[in-house]
Amino acid sequence: MRSIWVVLKKEYLTRIKNKTFIIMTFLAPVLIALFYGGAIYFATVGAEDHSAKTVYFNAPYWDLESDELAFDDYTFIPALPDSKSMLDEIESKKMSGWLQINDKDIHVLDSAELIGGSSFSVTELQKLNNHLKTRAHEYLLMEAGISDSTLRLTEVRGGVKALEIDNEGDIANSNTTLKSAVGFAMAMIIYMFIFIYGSMVMRSAMEEKTNRIVEVIVSSVKPFDLMLGKILGVALVGLTQFFAWIVLSIALLGGLSYAFSSDANSIPQEANNLPVHEIISGFQSLPFVDIIVVFVLFFLGGYLLYSSIFAAIGSAVNQETDVQQFMLPVSLPLVFGFIIAQSVVFQSPNGHLAKVFSMIPLTSPIVMAVRAPFDVPLTEIIGSFVVLLLTFVFMVWLSAKIYRVGVLMYGKKPSWKDLWRWIRQS
Amino acid sequence: MFADLSMLKVSHVYKYFDDQCVNNDICLELKQGEIFGLLGPNGAGKTTLMRMLATVTTPDRGDIFIQGESLSSKHVPLIGYMPEERGLYRKMSVVDQLLYFAELKGLSRSQAKENVKKWLHQLDIVHWADKKMEELSKGMAQKIQFISTILHEPKFLILDEPFSGFDPVNADMVKDLIIKLKNEGTTILFSTHRMDNVEELCDRLAIIHEGRKVLDGTIEEVRRNHFKNEYDLNFSEPISIPEDIKFRKLEQSKSFSIRVTLNKEESYQDLLDWAYKTKKLKAFGEYLPTMHEIFVNKVSNR
Repeated sequence: MRSIWVVLKKEYLTRIKNKTFIIMTFLAPVLIALFYGGAIYFATVGAEDHSAKTVYFNAPYWDLESDELAFDDYTFIPALPDSKSMLDEIESKKMSGWLQINDKDIHVLDSAELIGGSSFSVTELQKLNNHLKTRAHEYLLMEAGISDSTLRLTEVRGGVKALEIDNEGDIANSNTTLKSAVGFAMAMIIYMFIFIYGSMVMRSAMEEKTNRIVEVIVSSVKPFDLMLGKILGVALVGLTQFFAWIVLSIALLGGLSYAFSSDANSIPQEANNLPVHEIISGFQSLPFVDIIVVFVLFFLGGYLLYSSIFAAIGSAVNQETDVQQFMLPVSLPLVFGFIIAQSVVFQSPNGHLAKVFSMIPLTSPIVMAVRAPFDVPLTEIIGSFVVLLLTFVFMVWLSAKIYRVGVLMYGKKPSWKDLWRWIRQS
Repeated sequence: MFADLSMLKVSHVYKYFDDQCVNNDICLELKQGEIFGLLGPNGAGKTTLMRMLATVTTPDRGDIFIQGESLSSKHVPLIGYMPEERGLYRKMSVVDQLLYFAELKGLSRSQAKENVKKWLHQLDIVHWADKKMEELSKGMAQKIQFISTILHEPKFLILDEPFSGFDPVNADMVKDLIIKLKNEGTTILFSTHRMDNVEELCDRLAIIHEGRKVLDGTIEEVRRNHFKNEYDLNFSEPISIPEDIKFRKLEQSKSFSIRVTLNKEESYQDLLDWAYKTKKLKAFGEYLPTMHEIFVNKVSNR
């Protein structure tokens, strides 16, 4: 136990003190904040061209007011009788264009033309088209004798709402889409964590081998203790980094949103149309405690299992380039878990296939995370976690065997057959 | 003063790699406070044996006892091991590195700190303490490597080729430290193929060849056991050996001296009589083969 602690402390402290770690921990949230801040800024402000633009228009067969067409920075004025001077003005960029609607029958707008249309962007053209079509639609309705109020009476809103019976026996919103999103986000975090920090464990084992430190280490500490110390030490590094990122991100995003909210006009119109209240109340209705417990359990369990496999790989190979042949088969179950998560779990989160794959330890961290918001039975969670944990202990034991032999084998690149021999040998 | 206490006993130890027997029925016994040399050509199985003694691997058959107890991981604090393949963490500072190794060997943090300080002082390298290993020269790293091996004051020190890879200055430092540690009661087992080190340092030795122990004993015993009835004679002036001499001439390296090998039935007394009569004899003595000769003889004649 003591040597696990000594190894853990060393693995943790050397990494935490490392310059790259400090830089990455502080820089990553700043970079992410800059990225999103920049994206939001350019989406709302930067892209628009704010100079006012005027367009001539004439619609001889249609009673159309100029202010019915205006949008954004575009205003429309009736066309002049002299078409030559209008075209000159458009050519010299004084005016932005000339819209002619020569259709007699506005059921089909096929003789509507916009001269100088190249100064319009795709979205602007779409807006103009929508305006025209809406006006035409209203015009036709009026001709048919249907008033605005009649029309509003016939409008249908809403749709089927998915409900569920919660733990207290009450009926509540089930928020399936939101749950899927939350589950998927958690699976993504687990996936990334496993790869970033799992490969850190691998490099740590590899460093000891390539720098020939390992014999001294193995003579001082049991490989099992060494492995466990490494895996837990790096896990703590990862958690420290994650925690720092979360705190820094919240601080930065908080600062950014404050900066943006003080300039309320810059928030695009669409943002206000989002069902913000629905999302917030949806979040509140999620079984948060359950989700977080499942997430933490399978996040740690998944990392522990995979990093013990990565550690074995690190102790078997001689150089980074040899890693690939072992990495692929190891990362396949994770990728597979994702595919399962997308296809099966989204369709029936508590179906048979979903249950099976959330029991298999190599896929369970991903699949269970995605299922977490969908009221997974407690027995399944406990069962799956126990299987995961047992597999982890078994893998550390197995990796320690590979480590004991593998680290003393220099020179040739090991094959799968060699690994099996080493396991039996030690 | 430690003469009768057994530090290490290796009893009929076998180790196989696949089907190849790397250690075949090895028996050794080391007394407390002695320096024991393990000799053998490359691939003889020295490193394999030392790894088992250092608890890196375990024997396939046979037993190893340390201070009378069956060797296990609980004896790690007793043992110091410097493998032939050595290295240190490149990104760690000297002091962190030494503390880590000392703590792994079971020292408390405060004890580890005290020992690190002591050794850095003793070797006059306190100013390196905060340097990272990658900033040190190879010779400096070698010093740190040796300190890391003895930092926890092991009772039993295993050194695999301690002089290989070390520059002459550091090799001398290691030699001096080995003698110092021996005088403090440490039992030391080291492997080498440099015979000058063996004759200089070892109380006893064993030669291993193709996995088997082919001999062991004190240097004196071993050399005496390999005495081949050879005598060295030195003369005050050049001497030509008469044709009719009945003794078999072995070699006459210089005209002043000859080496003679006697048959079983011949007595050295007759040789001495003959030499005496020349009236030029300055010195007469038996010739004991050097460790080098014995070594070469043992590993090539099998």
